Amino acid sequence: MKQTINVTINGRLYREDVEPRLLLSHFLRENIGLTGTHVGCVVGECGACTILLDGKLVKSCLHFAVQADGREVTTVEGLAKDGELSVVQEAFVKHYAFQCGYCTPGMIMASYALLRDHPNPSEGEIRKALSGNLCMCTGYVQIVEAVKDAAQGLKNG
Amino acid sequence: MAKFVGSRSRSKEGPRHVTGRGLYTDDFMLPGMLQAMILRSPHAHAKIVSIDPSEALKNPNVITVITPDDVKQSTRPFRPGRYAAGLKRPIDEYAGAVDKVRYVGEPVGAVAARDRGTAEDALELISVEYEPLRSVVDVREAIKPSSAVLFDELGTNLAWHGALKYGEIDGAFKSADRIVKENLKIHRYSSTPLEPFAVIASYDAASKRLTVWVTAQVPEVIYDGLREALGLQDVRVIIPDVGGGFGQKIHLIRKYVVLISLLAMKSGRPVKWIEDRSEHMMAGGHACAQEFEAEAAVKNDGTVLGLRFKEYDDVGGSISTLTIHFTNKLNNLSNTYRTPNISMEGFAVVTNKCPVIPNRGIGKPGMCFVWERMMDRVAQELNLSPIEVRRKNLIQPNEMPYSTVSGNVYDSGDYPGLLQGLLEKIDYDKLREEQKREREKGRLIGIGVVIGVEPGGRNAARDMAIFPEMKEPPGSGGINGATIKLEKNGTLALHLGSPNCGQAHETTTAQVAAEVLGTTPDRISTSIPFDSDLSPWGVAAANSGNNFHLYDIGAVHGAATRLREKILKLSAHVLNVDSKELAIEDSTVKVPGSTVKQVSFAELGRIAYNNQHLIPDDMEPGLQATYYYTFPHAKPNIVPNAERLVRAQFTFSAGAHAAVVEIDKATGKVEVLRYLIVGDNGTVINPDVVNGQVYGSATHGIAVALGEGFIYSPDGQPLTVTYLDYGKCSTAETPKIEVVHRPSPSPFTTLGQKAAGEGAAIPSPAAIASAVEDALTPLGVKITDLPLTPEVVWRLVNNNPESSRRSY
Repeated sequence: MKQTINVTINGRLYREDVEPRLLLSHFLRENIGLTGTHVGCVVGECGACTILLDGKLVKSCLHFAVQADGREVTTVEGLAKDGELSVVQEAFVKHYAFQCGYCTPGMIMASYALLRDHPNPSEGEIRKALSGNLCMCTGYVQIVEAVKDAAQGLKNG
Repeated sequence: MAKFVGSRSRSKEGPRHVTGRGLYTDDFMLPGMLQAMILRSPHAHAKIVSIDPSEALKNPNVITVITPDDVKQSTRPFRPGRYAAGLKRPIDEYAGAVDKVRYVGEPVGAVAARDRGTAEDALELISVEYEPLRSVVDVREAIKPSSAVLFDELGTNLAWHGALKYGEIDGAFKSADRIVKENLKIHRYSSTPLEPFAVIASYDAASKRLTVWVTAQVPEVIYDGLREALGLQDVRVIIPDVGGGFGQKIHLIRKYVVLISLLAMKSGRPVKWIEDRSEHMMAGGHACAQEFEAEAAVKNDGTVLGLRFKEYDDVGGSISTLTIHFTNKLNNLSNTYRTPNISMEGFAVVTNKCPVIPNRGIGKPGMCFVWERMMDRVAQELNLSPIEVRRKNLIQPNEMPYSTVSGNVYDSGDYPGLLQGLLEKIDYDKLREEQKREREKGRLIGIGVVIGVEPGGRNAARDMAIFPEMKEPPGSGGINGATIKLEKNGTLALHLGSPNCGQAHETTTAQVAAEVLGTTPDRISTSIPFDSDLSPWGVAAANSGNNFHLYDIGAVHGAATRLREKILKLSAHVLNVDSKELAIEDSTVKVPGSTVKQVSFAELGRIAYNNQHLIPDDMEPGLQATYYYTFPHAKPNIVPNAERLVRAQFTFSAGAHAAVVEIDKATGKVEVLRYLIVGDNGTVINPDVVNGQVYGSATHGIAVALGEGFIYSPDGQPLTVTYLDYGKCSTAETPKIEVVHRPSPSPFTTLGQKAAGEGAAIPSPAAIASAVEDALTPLGVKITDLPLTPEVVWRLVNNNPESSRRSY
């Protein structure tokens, strides 16, 4: 039995009929076509599907699509404006803070939320904030550098 | 003066990845596409008695089910590859289990339904009757006559046994002052790429053409596997963005490509399959658990005259990768040492566990672990410094190129320099003093220093060294291609022969092509999907074997050089000058100093494709070039000779590693306080990219040593099926890796480049073991086995022997 939900995603309202068991991650990918939200474990351990739900950082595989009814979602596709990268995205490119790119959207969302809430994080705070996002490629060194640099960039406006 | 090679350059992959616009296999949708799920064995060892899918098929949204009978009737077994060539008698291995299951998670069947949920539900409605058999998970148990036997055809679980001897090993042991012995173990782990296995198969029955999109590292394995198993002539393999490979996506994935293709052929619809994380952890392939009995023949001054070892490999429930961890030790058999006599004896033992697969360095981390653990042991027994013992045995820079005892030719390297650079950078003497002071306060701090080579560029004939009966190699040396095209608007398009799994192939190759052609990397685009129809590829077209720097860079450089010659020829004709007078700068060909005699790439593009009357009569129109590269210095020993001498790989990077650790006595937790690498990757084309490879590979090796790993219950049930069970390290546990480059460019490669992919994953497990042992010196503890989980270390600290019955 499908349910109708209304979800605002990256500023646009979508009305969709979904099965109650459909995960929010899969709803974003398959129903809306926003494939930047990646799925690496489906049990909330890897963080590749991290998004903002009403501004709060969540793992979209741990939510059902129906739980997003009436709420606002921001995905990695919602950060760049007209091809202009956000400060965090630009810092990731500059510092090679990715390799295969699979964890990157989740890392970007977690970094974005960190810097929104804590503009001057220490290295320890950065590492703690990103500890819910696994990366198999980078050893995290360049990711931490990118977040530090993005904090500096945001400060300088 | 190089403009782009060796400089920072903006990432070409970055913008799409940070905006979520990468395209991975799961991101593609085809009209009418079905979703598949794999039916897997819940038993470690059982006979399949019967299987009945009729309940599942009652749901009209369940379109197709395949069973062992379908696999047996509609597919053929894979031909034994180079890692199964040692089987005493051939054993058919199909894409799915046909009579028996030999590990938990082994594919037994598959379902295609209109959506994934329905496919998942259908799995539960397929009734399978199993007759459970006794299982065996321990290598030493498995080779006892009383053990359950996995393959009746073999009559034993010892599926392969063989040996290689180099030099006068017996003489070395006779003339030694001392023989140092140790038994060592490395456990099962993997690189667990974040993107799991993913396949889309589409079959056009009318034209008998199969197209697959797959997350894979080596096109040849998929291409040959499909043709062998399905008997098709017309196969197209497309590899889009790959979410991490590390070896996991080379071999075993071919089974799933065949099963999903069979579903597509039976249903007449495109079929997609995306593996679950738990499926990957139980059945996606593990690096081999390796047990060693090692002996070093040494002189009292620390000279190692000979090394011999026996190796027991727990290869799991498949015969298709029997010898891979053993033969890979030929790649770094000598490590950085001059030891003139080495022998190795291998035992490949099948067990009721997940099959082994290649994983970042394959057997090389094990080989380095043997060498570096033995070097520490030699130092302890002779009461010498571990640094001095290593120094005593290092190959010297003035001996390069150096021919090793097994036939490798080390192209370049300054191993004493790397070691010295490491000791200076980490301030070793001061560190030892600090350690002494802190030890008196009761802190358990340890310092481990190791060194290792990182071979690059694979020789496809290597494995013949252990199969003297094999007449023809499955391949030899390495061949890979690249195509570059100047477009009508003056930009360039590059096609590589091998897929990109996150190592920045697009960025690095654009830098090289821009350098050769006098343009800029931002004007070069590299086609992202590998496409077997379009990509120029050969046996070295593999995101594996540390092949990229030798073969792909060689091919791109060759193609760009060939295109440059065509550009100059056309320009000389257009400008009516001798081509020798011309230079290329910023995408413009010009006579230096002249403001008139110049022509832009865009103008040349328009001429080359549109204006026949402006093209020289003796010139082929168009501005495109393809080049297939082989390593020009691959001889001698490209094919093993009578003495079994063989070039296993062709370039030799190296690194000296220092780990400083502290152990918490109360919990057994090992904290890495500092991790420093002084490395030689030859000419570095893009420093950010190479650093990223070193950071990532070191991190993996450290995490493996400190606890990542697969654990089985005594009856063969996998107990580590999530990232948390497995112990994957996050930013919180991962130390900050420091890297210093001290390159010795290769005299034999195109730009002096050497490999940089597997790199730091090879010595890092040994570095951690060395540091932990050093920390526990006051307690007299020896480290012989990995992993060093808090539980293991706590037991060592508290002299509390292992009571657990779990098996790695």
